[in-house]
Amino acid sequence: MSAWLAERRDLAAQSNALLPVPTLSDEHWRFTSLRGIDFDAFRAVEAPAPGEIAGAILAAGDHAGRVVVRDGGAVVDELSEAAAAQGVAFGSLRRLAEERPELVEPLLGTIVGYDEKFAAENGALWTDGVLLHVPAGVKVAEPFHVAYEIATEGAAQQWRALIVVEEGAEATLVEEHLSGLPGYANGVAEVQVGVAGHLTYVVVQDRCDAALHFAAHRAEIAKDGLLDWAACSTGARTGKTRMETRLTGEGATGRLSGVYVVDDKRHLDLDTTQEHDAPNAVSDLAFKGVLLDEARSVWRGVIRVAEGAQGTDSYQENRNLLLSSKARADSIPGLEIDTNDVRCTHGATAGPVDPMLRFYLMSRGVPAAEAERVIVEGFLEEALERIPDERIRVALTEHVMRRIPS
Amino acid sequence: MADLVIRNLHANIADTDTEILKGIDLEMSRGEIHAIMGPNGSGKSTLSHVLMGHPGYEVTAGEVLFMGEDLLELEADERSRAGLFLSFQYPFAVPGVTVANFIRMAVNAHRKGGPEGEDDPIRIPEFRKQLQEAMELLEIDKSMSSRSLNEGFSGGEKKRFEILQMAMLKPSIAILDETDSGLDIDALRIVSGGINQLVGPDMGALIITHYQRILDHVKPDRIHVLMDGRIVRSGGPELAHELESSGYAGIAEEVSA
Ligand SMILES: Nc1ncnc2c1ncn2[C@@H]1O[C@H](COP(=O)(O)OP(=O)(O)O)[C@@H](O)[C@H]1O
Ligand SMILES: [Mg+2]
Repeated sequence: MSAWLAERRDLAAQSNALLPVPTLSDEHWRFTSLRGIDFDAFRAVEAPAPGEIAGAILAAGDHAGRVVVRDGGAVVDELSEAAAAQGVAFGSLRRLAEERPELVEPLLGTIVGYDEKFAAENGALWTDGVLLHVPAGVKVAEPFHVAYEIATEGAAQQWRALIVVEEGAEATLVEEHLSGLPGYANGVAEVQVGVAGHLTYVVVQDRCDAALHFAAHRAEIAKDGLLDWAACSTGARTGKTRMETRLTGEGATGRLSGVYVVDDKRHLDLDTTQEHDAPNAVSDLAFKGVLLDEARSVWRGVIRVAEGAQGTDSYQENRNLLLSSKARADSIPGLEIDTNDVRCTHGATAGPVDPMLRFYLMSRGVPAAEAERVIVEGFLEEALERIPDERIRVALTEHVMRRIPS
Repeated sequence: MADLVIRNLHANIADTDTEILKGIDLEMSRGEIHAIMGPNGSGKSTLSHVLMGHPGYEVTAGEVLFMGEDLLELEADERSRAGLFLSFQYPFAVPGVTVANFIRMAVNAHRKGGPEGEDDPIRIPEFRKQLQEAMELLEIDKSMSSRSLNEGFSGGEKKRFEILQMAMLKPSIAILDETDSGLDIDALRIVSGGINQLVGPDMGALIITHYQRILDHVKPDRIHVLMDGRIVRSGGPELAHELESSGYAGIAEEVSA
């Protein structure tokens, strides 16, 4: 391992050793209890079994590159000739940290630091993941695809991603966390969108219903850059995902869309930020969730507007449909504004399907059960329709609707 | 027997003792146009909702026969498939469901005939053709069909889309609850034209209104005056003119006298 990387791991390990496992008294963990989880029971699996992946939702069609990380390592590591010829670097982060340190060293650990327990643990222990580096001015039409899978029961998967779209570049990255087997996943994704760059980033979390899923995704968007970010969560027993967006340059735009369906006794915790550090930037967050059975979701979203970020236009909404009287959704919006001349709005709701709306559909001949499904699909569609790629949008719609019993 | 027979219908707001309908009698059949007129709050919408199977009301007495069947035994969707239609006074927005998809779903639900029925979806080109024809009849811009139904629609647009659904579902009896309100003169003429074209041997209309306005365009065979949950008078088209000159107050005096 290169000296710089060993040093960085060491730094993270020191921080990890000092940080306690968060409890309900930590602000960000008020609704998600880690009690009873024996993190030591999960072990790193270094030599993953070969073979194709199962259960991917968005793997069909042509891709500019493909990586599959199984347990601790990449088992598929491909980049199309066309994309390679354009100067794109894409593939296993473990491999590219050695082969292309000039792309990794300056950024790794600078966007998501080591001051939070899970991020620190990941910084010390990550085994593989993906690097996407799209050089200035390069536009790649076909999506890149990365899949993370736990194929050994009880495995700990410490994955890490570094995604850079330079000035004026354009790319789409699809990231899937596959169903696989029960285990513990902890990951970090660091994302940088350069000046007038454009990244479409689609993250699907469909981990096995007995798995634990923790992830910190953090993106920085430079002047006039655009990040179109869609997250879809349907899996994991307990999942906590940080999805942070920092607008660092004037006129940057973050479009943050989320869809989740949670059933059984599963628990999903989404923690988002929209950090406006530059003037005239736009962030627009819309998360929609459907809760079944005894499932529980928590969304905590903060809009932070720094001093000097005049002309900020920021919006956040979280809407939840409760399809069972025992399901529960908590929404905790927050505004921290240190400047004048901003437009920040938010909204949050949770409730059952409107019986009057169901009656309206039934009055057109549609049976009650079908009416309810159509209302749910329409509800989620309002977030899904924000996904620009039609193929991805259709596949995700079908995927989430399979989770709704008919 | 008439296609729709309402006898001594009483209804409360569900789970309360508040009676809104206090004994309604009315009979009508396909090919006929009846109007129910009455002041605000007299129970017109409640009657239309109760007939359609709205969950917010409870029938406490009386009966309703529709095409010879006990209507009150049926769920709202079954009533629709049996041939009853309600154009809502306040139609609902259906987020994320386009006009075209909504109507196609309804058409297919009718073709299937119920959860136990066999799927018999209308072919898409055939559906498009029918929808386009109905939209032309009601002078609705084509581009509207890909919008979410009723979302952000003006009051008048919503009413037009109710009639569009009626045109596509071809009910035996259509109840039109204040379909004229929210329509400007031109829209009223277009929508009335649509209604007139659809009423015939296969369809009757029960037009609910508190103005006489729509009745200048759609000529009723019978008019019923509803006040405080009861039909206090029934008569021919001339009753509308009497109402216009003496108002509901006049009728009320006459009834209590
Ligand atoms: N769900 C309800 N809850 C409370 N009051 C109701 C409800 N439905 C109807 N009402 C009351 O019943 C009366 C009749 O209402 P409605 O049928 O809407 O009258 P109309 O359509 O003739 O204007 C009104 O006084 C109205 O306030
Ligand atoms: Mg009314």
